[in-house]
Amino acid sequence: MYLENSEIGKKCMLLSELPEDGTLIATARALYPGQHCSFRAVAGTLPLIKNSYALLLGPAICLYNAKLSMNMRSLTSDPRPNNLLFVNYSQDDIIFGFREKVRTAILQADEEYHPEVLFLITSCLQEIVGEDFDSCIDEIRPHVHARLLIIHTENFTCEGAAPGIENMFKSFFELMTSQPKEEKTVNLLGLWTSTARKTELARLLCSKGIVIKNVIPSYCTPSELQKAPGVQLNIVLDQYALPLAKMMKEQFGTEYIYARKPYLPDSIEKWYKDIAGDLNIDLSAEIEELKTQTEELLSRARIALAGKTCAVSSISGRTFDLALLLSRLGVEPKVILMQTVLPDDRSDIQELLTQGIDPIIFRGDNSLQNEELFAELSPDISLGMQDRQALARMAIMPVVLSTSYYMLGFESTNEVLRRLLEKPKSLEALMYKEQILANGEC
Amino acid sequence: MDLKHNGFPVPSDYFGVLWALSGIKDLLILEHGSTGTCNYNAFNYMIMNRQSPKGKLFSSGMDEDDVVMGRDEKVKEAIAELDGKYRPEVIALVATGVTSVIGLDLQGIIEEIQSATKSKLLSFSSGGFSGDYNQGIKEVFRSLVNNIVEEPRDIKPYTVNIIGPTIDSFNNVSDLAELERMLMLLGAQVNTVFTCKTNVRDIKNLAMASLNLVTRDTGLEAAKMLKERYGIPYYYGLPFGVRGSVEWMNDVAGMLGLSLSRKILAEEIGKYGYSILELVNFLQNLDHLRVVISCPLDYSIGLKRLMQDEWGIDPSLVVLPELDSASLEEAIAGINPHIIFGNSYDLMIAKNVPIKVHAAFPAFDHIYRYDGTPFVGLRGHAHLTQTIINHLNQNPEVFRN
Repeated sequence: MYLENSEIGKKCMLLSELPEDGTLIATARALYPGQHCSFRAVAGTLPLIKNSYALLLGPAICLYNAKLSMNMRSLTSDPRPNNLLFVNYSQDDIIFGFREKVRTAILQADEEYHPEVLFLITSCLQEIVGEDFDSCIDEIRPHVHARLLIIHTENFTCEGAAPGIENMFKSFFELMTSQPKEEKTVNLLGLWTSTARKTELARLLCSKGIVIKNVIPSYCTPSELQKAPGVQLNIVLDQYALPLAKMMKEQFGTEYIYARKPYLPDSIEKWYKDIAGDLNIDLSAEIEELKTQTEELLSRARIALAGKTCAVSSISGRTFDLALLLSRLGVEPKVILMQTVLPDDRSDIQELLTQGIDPIIFRGDNSLQNEELFAELSPDISLGMQDRQALARMAIMPVVLSTSYYMLGFESTNEVLRRLLEKPKSLEALMYKEQILANGEC
Repeated sequence: MDLKHNGFPVPSDYFGVLWALSGIKDLLILEHGSTGTCNYNAFNYMIMNRQSPKGKLFSSGMDEDDVVMGRDEKVKEAIAELDGKYRPEVIALVATGVTSVIGLDLQGIIEEIQSATKSKLLSFSSGGFSGDYNQGIKEVFRSLVNNIVEEPRDIKPYTVNIIGPTIDSFNNVSDLAELERMLMLLGAQVNTVFTCKTNVRDIKNLAMASLNLVTRDTGLEAAKMLKERYGIPYYYGLPFGVRGSVEWMNDVAGMLGLSLSRKILAEEIGKYGYSILELVNFLQNLDHLRVVISCPLDYSIGLKRLMQDEWGIDPSLVVLPELDSASLEEAIAGINPHIIFGNSYDLMIAKNVPIKVHAAFPAFDHIYRYDGTPFVGLRGHAHLTQTIINHLNQNPEVFRN
C-alpha cells in the first residue's frame, strides 16, 4: 500500500480493498466541509420548476444560507429564477407551534404570487420537534388555488442530501397522472440545467425524430410534469432520479433506462447504443463519427499528458469511468476522493482493477487532511473542485470540470480533454504567485 | 410580516458566533450538528471577501442516532482529534439549531473532558435562537473577555485595541488600514483588532492596552467590561469626513496623552481633504439631491454626518438593518432618491435609483480585499468624495431633477 508509514496512509484504502457493499473508511471525526444537505439541494433545484414557488420553512441558519446560495448563483452563467419564499422557524414557533404562521404564509403566497404549485420545504428542526406539519397542510389545501406539495428534508437522518432530493423527485410524482403512451418521446430525468435541450444527447435524439417532452427537474411546468408519464422512455441520468423513474414504471408503466453519464469513448458508445436500442432508433453512424473525433482528440491529448499523475474528486456521472479515461490517456489516477460508492459503480471498478489500475480511494472527510494526502502523493493534476489556491501552492495543476457537467456524450469527454490540455493564463498567474509565497515560507 | 421574498433572512446569532470567532488565529471552531450547516458555511463565507472557513471550522457530523439518543460521543471524538492533530489554543464548541432544540448540554461536555484536553474549550450554546448575528458577536466578545483575557502584567503606553470589527464587517480591510495609519500619525499603535485580526495570545493581553477604540456598537459591552475590570478607557465612534476625522484624531490623541502635529495634519488635509466644491463646476448643484442611507448604525451615523458636513446634502432617509425589505421598498418608492448607500439586497431593491453605492454587509456581489478603498478617516473621505463625484458625472440627469 502507498504511504504505509505515514499517519494518513493508515486511513487510505486501495480500490481493490473496497468492500463489496462499497463502504468507505471514515477518515476524520472533525469534518470539513462535510456533505451538503438536502434542504440546500432542494432549495437550489426548485427554482427550475416553472410556474411554482417554494416556501422554505426553517430556522434563520438555513434560510440565510439558501438565499445566499441563490444570490451567488445569480452571478453565474446558470442563474435560477427567484421563486424562493421564506418563513423563519423561531424559538417561539418551536414552543408554541408553527402551524398558524405557516398557514398565513401559504395564504399570502397563494394570493400574492399565484403559483400553479407551491412547494413547502421543511428542515431538520420540524422533523425533530415533530409537529404534525402534513395535517396542517391538509387543512389548508381547500382554501388555496395552488397545488401544495410537501418536501421533507430531514438532513440529520442521513449523511448526505440524497433522501431529500429523492423526496423532491417523489413530490413531482404527485403531480403526474396516467397518460396515453406517445411513441418516440422521452423524458430526461436528473439533469439540472437550462441547456439540457442543447446537449449532444438531445441533438442526436431530435435528429431521429425523438421528442424530449420534459427535462426533470429543468424548466418544466407542473402541467408538463402531469403529462410526463406518457412518454415512451424515461432516460435516467443520475441516481437521485431513479426512485421517481421506478415509481413511474410501477404506477404508469413508463419504461426507463438508467444511464449515468460515461466518459470513456467505448462506454459512451455503449451508453448511446443502449438508449437507441430502447427507442428502436439507429445512431450507429452518428456515434461512429463522434467517437472518431473524440478518439483523435484523445490521441493528441495522450501525447501531452502521458506519464502524468492525477487526483480525482467531485465528478458528475461515473467517476470510475473517468478514471478509465485518464488511464487511456496514460495518466495515472493516484487517488480518488469520494463520499459514496454506488452499486452501479461496481462494473467500472472491476474494469479498472482488471486493467491493473488500483488507486487509493479516500473519503475526504476533512479538506485539510485531503491536502495533506495530496502533498504526500504529489499528483501533477487534480481534477475536481479542490481549493485551487492550495493546489497551486503544492504545484498541482487544478482542473475544474464544471463546464462539462451539463454536457452529455462525447461532447462531455471532449470538454474534459480540452480542460486537461489547456492551462489558462489566469491559472498560470495563480501558480506563479503561490509558488513565490511557498518559496518564501521555506 | 413573516413571509419574505426579495429581501434576505437576517442571519441569526449562530452566524455572529462563527464570524466573531473566525478571525482568531490558534482557535478552531467545532459546530455540533449535521454537516449541512458546515457545508453551507464553506459556501457563504465566500460572500465575505471570498474567505473560507477551511482550517477554522469543523462539524461533528451529528446523525439521527445522536439526535434520538442524545449521544455526545461524536463531538467528544472530534474535539480529541482537533486537540491532538492541530493543537489549537482554544476550541470553540458551537451549537447549531438541532443541538439547541434537543437541549444537549455543551458546557457539561466541556466540564467532562476539559481536563483531558490541552486546548481550552469554550461553548456557545444558543444555536441560532437568541436573536440576530449581533447577539452572537456580543456573546463571543463577552465569553472571550470572561474566559481568555488575563490580568495585565503592565500597561503598554500609546497602544490601543480596536474593538468591534469581525470578519463580516463591511470594508474592514481598508477601514482598519486607515485607522492604523491615522493612529501612526499620532504616534500610537494597535495592540490587536478584536476579533477580525487577532490571536489567542493577543486576546490574553488585551488588558495591556492604554485605550480601547470601539468601532461598532456590538463592541461597546466588551469595552465597558474591560473598563470596569481593568480600568481601560474606551472611545466609541468612527471617523467620517474631514471634520469627523480631525476630531477623532484629536480625541484619541488626548486620551492617550499625545498630540496631533499641525504640520502633519496640514499635510494630510492637503493630500486627502479636498472639498466636494473643488470637484464640481458651477452648474452642478448638490443640495437638491435625495439620498437614502441603509447601513448598520455606526456607518449610518458616520455617512450621514459626512454628507451633511462635507457635501451639504441632508439625507432623506436613514435606515437601520432592522427595517424589512418590503418597508424599504415602499420608502424608496415614496422618496424617489438620486443616491442610495446600502447592502447588496438594498441595491437590488433600489433598481431604479441612478446612483448606488455599496456600503454594507451582505455583499455577495462585491469584494473588498484591496486595502485602498476606505470609507473612514481622511483617506475614506477622499475615496468617498471622489466616488460620488464620478457617479454624479456618470448620471448627470440627477442634476436636472
